[in-house]
Amino acid sequence: MSEATAGRADACTIALVGRPNSGKSSLYNRMTGGNARVGNYPGITVDVLEGAVELPSGARAVVADLPGLYSVEATVARDTDEGVARSFLDRLRESSSEGDATPGRFLVVQVIDPTRLALGLRLTRELAAAKLPLLVALTHADVLTSEGREIDVARLESEIGAPVVLLCARDPDAKGALLAAVDDRLRDRDPPEPRASFDPAALARHVVRDVSTSEATRRRRRFTERVDAVLLHPLLGPLLFVGLMALVFAAVFLVADPVTGAFDALVGVARNGLGRVLGEGLVASFLADGILAGAGTVLAFMPQIVILTVALEVLEASGYLARGAFLVDRLLRVLGLSGRSFLPLLMGHACAVPAISATRVVRDPRERLTTILVLPLMTCSARLPTYALVLTAFFSGRSALFRACLFVGLYFAGIFAALVATFVLRRTATKGKSLPLVLEMPSYRVPQASVVARKAYRTARRFLRDVGTTIVIASAVLWTLLSIPMPGVHRDPDAPAIESSVAATVGRTIEPVTRPAGFDWRIDVGLIGSFGARELMVATLGVVYGVEDAEDDAAPLAEKLREAKRPDGAPVYGVRTGLALLAFFVLACQCMSTVAAIRRETSSWRWPAFVLGYTYALGYAAAVLVYQIGGVLGLE
Amino acid sequence: MVVEAKRSIDAAAAPSGGPLATATSGARVRVVAVRLDADVAAWLAAVGLHVGEEVVVLRRAVLGGPLHVRTSSGGEFAVARELAEKLDVVAAREAES
Repeated sequence: MSEATAGRADACTIALVGRPNSGKSSLYNRMTGGNARVGNYPGITVDVLEGAVELPSGARAVVADLPGLYSVEATVARDTDEGVARSFLDRLRESSSEGDATPGRFLVVQVIDPTRLALGLRLTRELAAAKLPLLVALTHADVLTSEGREIDVARLESEIGAPVVLLCARDPDAKGALLAAVDDRLRDRDPPEPRASFDPAALARHVVRDVSTSEATRRRRRFTERVDAVLLHPLLGPLLFVGLMALVFAAVFLVADPVTGAFDALVGVARNGLGRVLGEGLVASFLADGILAGAGTVLAFMPQIVILTVALEVLEASGYLARGAFLVDRLLRVLGLSGRSFLPLLMGHACAVPAISATRVVRDPRERLTTILVLPLMTCSARLPTYALVLTAFFSGRSALFRACLFVGLYFAGIFAALVATFVLRRTATKGKSLPLVLEMPSYRVPQASVVARKAYRTARRFLRDVGTTIVIASAVLWTLLSIPMPGVHRDPDAPAIESSVAATVGRTIEPVTRPAGFDWRIDVGLIGSFGARELMVATLGVVYGVEDAEDDAAPLAEKLREAKRPDGAPVYGVRTGLALLAFFVLACQCMSTVAAIRRETSSWRWPAFVLGYTYALGYAAAVLVYQIGGVLGLE
Repeated sequence: MVVEAKRSIDAAAAPSGGPLATATSGARVRVVAVRLDADVAAWLAAVGLHVGEEVVVLRRAVLGGPLHVRTSSGGEFAVARELAEKLDVVAAREAES
């Protein structure tokens, strides 16, 4: 349990609620200075961020940033964003009615975008009807002013029976103003009872006054309309969309590369240092080749994940991602998904683990489950080192254009596989009607750097925790399997030690099964090594072939693969082995972090087992098919 | 949650109109009936689409994609064509805008 949560016994809780895009996150950031810890609430698996603040009276409070919410009355699935916010409120209400907490121990601060006041007031009415202690914070005061509109705050207060503050989250004074209002409301011994009898649309009309000729409003609206006319143009829109996504991914790799190089160098220095201190022994090897190598693998993927998160967050905050969902909804609809699944599917190209968490934006349970089940097929960045190795080993003779096309083809193969799997799943395992798309299209806004930075930081930390731990453990286990000799196996003194290891013995045992796909025991050892984390494939093959630091420079290992010969002198691997290996890597879910994430999000072992089963079966079938067809076509 | 049309509501609910899905781009209409399960309709109302709400169709995505609409409450939404089929609308008088 986090410190802030543990401290809740004597600190009051301020729950920030509001519709998605209401400006909640900016306000939360302003209130807590971006300091957030992920709260640990029993029964709530989703991150609810919280930060400690001090009220003007000196009392301590915990601010909780709840996921976006449209209604506290309409039925909603428990494990979606909306469901989580609802459970949180229910819990607060229960704990305050249990008697151990004095009244005023929690307050709901509803954040409303005043440019869409009538929509926000619908939720206000529901919160009032639920008898929750309420304070309303109107954000985006700056936008309201620029639109030449004014809000009659006093009248709004008296009509809804709850205090109202008008703020601009970008303004440094916003924190003080809001905390003072919170403090006043909490210390009020006879607080007004919120009223649930008003008509939101009529009230909004009465309290919002246009003081300008509303030319500014029209200008702003015209701007959004003009931008939309281009970005949502029937022909131009999709083209720009594809171009933008391509640009994002290109930027991710261009920017991440030097950072990854720097991390590599750092880990190299640490390994050398370790070697000097501990000398050459089993312990030193375990620490250097097991633990540190695993940590290095984790760090190598961090930059890509962080940069992609930043890019997607900027697109999301600017309002463009909702437009993207609008553009692709029809396509996803054919398969049985909606535009809402688009963001998680896009994120899956960096790493499936955060993408699986991101499926909480999908409100429909069947659609959400389908998205989770097909996400592991998206080409995540952990597959790339293996792709690069195979391309170097078997296609270095081909032109750069050919290799680039093959590389892009692998990406599309992953997408295609996911689309086909979606199509099939929606007609079998996750069959049933689901809610079609209703998606709010927010106004275009300039993203706030601090909010984006906070999100990137959280993603990085989460990646380190969820994925990093798995990789380091998998790397340590792998080291053991590769280093410990199999009991009872006779060791040829001339052969490398690895040949009598546990991993090699297992690899030899399963060789007959994988032979139709062209995999020998060495590749099988690689596959065993990458079962926990596919990132470890290249390093494992490096150990098998006695190539040091294969993960940093794949060229020597690629040469070994090319030149590996059978006893009769024929090459062990050919182009079709490479293609079969690629087919397997496109499809198989070789990632225990993903399996754990699916377990967490579906609260069952059935679905992670299902994903492992179907992706491995598909991967094996595709590898055999590719290898055999390659043979028929006369490939070496 | 399953979206199902309630067949009990007859076409008379929208005497001079029809489903939102058939509204042309630029049309200003008013929602007069929501032919959906009560819980889906309630959620839709919370989001901002309910009986009585005035809606301007801003654009229609190609090939039967979603509609982009603006409601009189100030919200803009992408609404799937299938859902727009279940919202009956009539033309709203221009004078009320």
